[in-house]
Amino acid sequence: MGNQKLYKGSLQTIILKLLANTDKMYGYEITQKVKELTQGELKITEGALYPALHKLEADGLLEVEVAKIGNRMRKYYKLTEQGTKETVGKLAEMQEFLRTMEQLVSPKLSLD
Amino acid sequence: MNQKRQVTEEEVTELYLFTRKHFVEHYDVQSELVDHLANDIEQIWLEHPQLPFDKARDLSFKKFGVFGFMDVVEKKQKAMHKKYWKILWRFVKEWFTLPKIISTALIFMLYFSLFQVPYSIHILFGAFVVWALYDLIQFAQNRRKNKGKKQAEKRWLLQDMIGETRGGFSFLTFVNFFNIINLLKIDFGTLPFYWLALFATLGTLLTIVFYVSAVVLPQKATQLLEETYPEYKMQ
Repeated sequence: MGNQKLYKGSLQTIILKLLANTDKMYGYEITQKVKELTQGELKITEGALYPALHKLEADGLLEVEVAKIGNRMRKYYKLTEQGTKETVGKLAEMQEFLRTMEQLVSPKLSLD
Repeated sequence: MNQKRQVTEEEVTELYLFTRKHFVEHYDVQSELVDHLANDIEQIWLEHPQLPFDKARDLSFKKFGVFGFMDVVEKKQKAMHKKYWKILWRFVKEWFTLPKIISTALIFMLYFSLFQVPYSIHILFGAFVVWALYDLIQFAQNRRKNKGKKQAEKRWLLQDMIGETRGGFSFLTFVNFFNIINLLKIDFGTLPFYWLALFATLGTLLTIVFYVSAVVLPQKATQLLEETYPEYKMQ
């Protein structure tokens, strides 16, 4: 299992990216999806997921939809228009970050 | 293959009680946590179908860490606080787009001329202290009333913010404003025009923000709750 701390700063981007690929998702579904995609390498904790979702919602990047399942209320999150725009920017930032880390961690040896 | 064991409606009700017992007071926050716990319990049952409900629930709750739901609740309050200010700001802006120029000008003139009357600042300050006390008493009474119905009724975080905490904006803000003016020992009689105008503008703005938070938002509470919570209409 990897160091979960390393993923911490990327949680919002991960959520946005997942929602960009699907129409809508609920909290538990997100945790399971991430686990599945990373083969258990990344486990989003409950204590981190919901605060991140609520912050994105308060910032206007996500909107909610609620479905009643028996007497359970399921809260779905989906990207707003602003959220879709922001996702593009956040992903570009992430790529940049990955490139920089790559250079720092395993610099290519050059002969010149 | 075994049929997938599901959380029953009674167990869902129990989960609501469980979140309440763990200091989640508001229905909107409870609902999301209940669905999460229920999903996780069902996931646990896939591997251990015979595990009693209570045991599975505790296993699931443990994943929230030593502080339980506290972190989620705290951050949710922060997020909702932000939302509240956004709504407040929206209505304050609306005040200026609607033709309320006359009332705004009147408030401004009132402050402006009051500031020029000797000792007026003390009178104003005194009046606001009395008003603040009255507000505090009402607030305490509301709180007591809410405590009684806390167990029985669904409470929404935003509803409490609109009705009770008002995003932390109260008469105390006014008292502080005038207290600062008092402490500065400004003699308003000798102040140049633009300083008086500045103080009067500040007073006017404060009055409008206060009016929106204490009168406009509570009046629009139902509309705002429906806007914020899709589940509010489903009750």
